[in-house]
Amino acid sequence: MKTAIRRQMTIHPEVMDVLNEQIALEMHASASYLAMASWCDQRELLNSKAFFYKQSEEERGHAMKIFDFINEAGGAAISPEVHNITNEFEGLREIYEKSLDQEIHVTQSIYKCFKKARSVDDFASEVFLQWFVSEQVEEEDSVRSILDVFDLMGDMPLKMIDERLPTE
Amino acid sequence: MFMDVFCDIEFNIQLKKETFCNYSLKIDDKEISLSFPQLLQLRNKINEYTLSENLEHIIANENFVLLFVADKKHLLFLEIPKLLDLKDEIAVCFL
Repeated sequence: MKTAIRRQMTIHPEVMDVLNEQIALEMHASASYLAMASWCDQRELLNSKAFFYKQSEEERGHAMKIFDFINEAGGAAISPEVHNITNEFEGLREIYEKSLDQEIHVTQSIYKCFKKARSVDDFASEVFLQWFVSEQVEEEDSVRSILDVFDLMGDMPLKMIDERLPTE
Repeated sequence: MFMDVFCDIEFNIQLKKETFCNYSLKIDDKEISLSFPQLLQLRNKINEYTLSENLEHIIANENFVLLFVADKKHLLFLEIPKLLDLKDEIAVCFL
């Protein structure tokens, strides 16, 4: 029986389960960034709005990358339900702090998937996840750089801070 | 010799590989043919139902679940012990 299942799937079932949880997390992050983008859009914070719309697309892209990988490896990718999205925020700094917390959470979850793949000798998944490990370093760094600007500019008006945020 | 003894035992829930990509699930007097994606789907549903918080919810309410399997061709009535047995049977298949 074991051999038969492994012939159908190259991905290990336990790795498939944690990757499906990762899809849910990435989609939640995507929806959460969309809420942040909307808050900024309504207040004409143009750089922040562009940043969060882009982040939302990126997170969805990550989810889709994992989704494709699971199905290509013979597993079953699950389209997740997305709950508990906050649409109310106190201010721009709070949004970026939440964004950093979210990225750290995603990074920890990627590490969990990576450890699982390594523990069950699922080498293909481990190699696949390496890209995500590097990507998360960049993601966290970009939010940290923005929070540095907030520290430098202190109590300046939101609009002025937004205009000085790094854009790509 | 030891294995021969088990060959004669009929279990309430049995999951067997029939062909390369087909499985058969025998549950009580029902026999359900499952393709591999259908088996994965069943595994996912059962794993979700048997999370401790979901089990508590089931026990506090109806105390059973109705579960569509094999692309909604069959409907299973599963009480908690049977739900847990099915989870174990599927888990063995994926070892």
